[in-house]
Amino acid sequence: MLTIALPKGRLADQTLDLMEKAGYDVSAARDKSRKLILEDKNAGLRFILSKPSDVPTYVEYGAADIGVVGKDTLLEEGRQLYEVLDLGLGKCRMCVAGPAELKNKLDEIPNKRVGTKYPNITRSYFEGVKGESVEIIKLNGSVELAPLTGLAEVIVDIVESGRTLYENGLDVLETVADISARLVVNRVSMKMKEEEIKPMIAKLKAALAEE
Amino acid sequence: MGNKFYTPDGFNDQFPGICGFKRELESKLRNLFLLNGYEEIETPGVEYFDVYKEFVAEEMLYKFTDGNGRLLCNRYDGTIPAVRFCAGRNDQYPVRYSYIENMFRAGKSGGGKLSGFTQGGIELLGASGTKSDAEVLAIAIKSALEIGITDLQVSIGQVKFYKGLMRQLGIGQEEQIKIKNAIANRDTVTLEKLDISKEDKETLQLLAESGGTYDTIDMMLPRVTDEDAKEALGNLREILDIMGNYGFLKYVSVDLSLIESLDYYTGMVFKGYTYEVGFPIISGGRYDDVAKSFGKDIEAVGFSISLTLAITALIRQEKYIPAKGASVIVGGNYEAASATAESLRAEGTPVILDTTGMDEEALENYAKEKGIETVMYMDGGNV
Repeated sequence: MLTIALPKGRLADQTLDLMEKAGYDVSAARDKSRKLILEDKNAGLRFILSKPSDVPTYVEYGAADIGVVGKDTLLEEGRQLYEVLDLGLGKCRMCVAGPAELKNKLDEIPNKRVGTKYPNITRSYFEGVKGESVEIIKLNGSVELAPLTGLAEVIVDIVESGRTLYENGLDVLETVADISARLVVNRVSMKMKEEEIKPMIAKLKAALAEE
Repeated sequence: MGNKFYTPDGFNDQFPGICGFKRELESKLRNLFLLNGYEEIETPGVEYFDVYKEFVAEEMLYKFTDGNGRLLCNRYDGTIPAVRFCAGRNDQYPVRYSYIENMFRAGKSGGGKLSGFTQGGIELLGASGTKSDAEVLAIAIKSALEIGITDLQVSIGQVKFYKGLMRQLGIGQEEQIKIKNAIANRDTVTLEKLDISKEDKETLQLLAESGGTYDTIDMMLPRVTDEDAKEALGNLREILDIMGNYGFLKYVSVDLSLIESLDYYTGMVFKGYTYEVGFPIISGGRYDDVAKSFGKDIEAVGFSISLTLAITALIRQEKYIPAKGASVIVGGNYEAASATAESLRAEGTPVILDTTGMDEEALENYAKEKGIETVMYMDGGNV
């Protein structure tokens, strides 16, 4: 029996589509009830639906063998996992954004205040890549408000189309990382359940190649 | 009231049934280590920070100061104190030490990962060569089996192979860090994007996804020209041979992607896994350079097994048998009861003697509540 942690929402459905294409019977997981654990004994699969940012936790501790999670969450959580496949779903960018007039002038502001939902990614980008200290202000949503209200000079956040930014007079200043959904595997499960997991990775890879 | 009812984050009390079970496992380990000639040592649990500072990230150590303001820390593992101890003495090598002790790891805790836990382990110091590697690996496997972990998978790697391969591929320092992380995380996405030849990419891909036993070694051998890398594969092949002699081949596989601690380990490395816990329960390898930090040249190899994780696994695998308390309670006339208790104890039966003057009914109820099988109520002086 393999336990698969899926992030609630669109990404879960897209992952199930892909698994179906790879030849897995995932009808049990299509159940639209409010059950959090969906099991199909015949297919040998158990799905758990969790908050996206909790998926790496379930997988790291072995409560789930496999998980699907955005690269943004992986970078932020820094968990000990095997990251085996780029599912190409949920593509977007992690960016530094701010008022459009800051374009190419970001480095001129000393001791920047940065609003973000991703304090770890922000710290490792500014300290590790750019080599500067910043003041990180942890926020939980509508991060765009931070530069508009003067709480922070810039933000670090996920950008898909950029519409929210543009409509608020903000723009992408720098790209931190490209983001998409990844298939992650618990390090112990990879050894103990190799016979189930390796073929699954291969089948998903083949299904992806077809697309 | 504050925090006085609670244990600090990452630390647990051991309840009676589990504590007794744990002591039984410890005895089994202690016995196994002794049978193989590994003498037990006890280090104080408090070390100078200097002992650890080259090996462990500062934030992972619990630190405090002594009366002279010198920085101390709690014991983080069994190996470093054993090497410190060994380096400070002039002993005839090789020496074989074992330990069963509590370890203290600060940093990220909570959510199931403990900061205080018990490890048993051995260190074979002043001994090089594959046969020494294989001895430690075999004892690691025996120790898991001995305490009831029979669903066991042990992955063996070789950091010399990886280092040799990097030399062979002529990959720069910066790129190496990227590759190291990608391999350790089996991140084939990153490996695919590397700017190296198709064949080299394939080699790295195979390395990242390696499993199997002799087949993996045979597959890798034609791909390497570096002498160290070749030697590393030879070392793994001989280790597999020796595991075969023990009948342990079914437990082991080769995983060349075990390269997390490249600065610490210098040769073969291994990790052991079982069902129902998401972390390795066994970890070990060759660490020839550690003693250099203490001014000595001592080639060494060792392993540790986490009793705490093993017990979690045994409980979830339904192999946990709670340790029993007393099987008899004696009450009533104190003198008579006391004499009876002592004579039963002399035979080796664990007995509780009632010291609170319970009547027969109270004694029966108490025994029922506590799961004590036999109740003996003495009246007068008659037994």
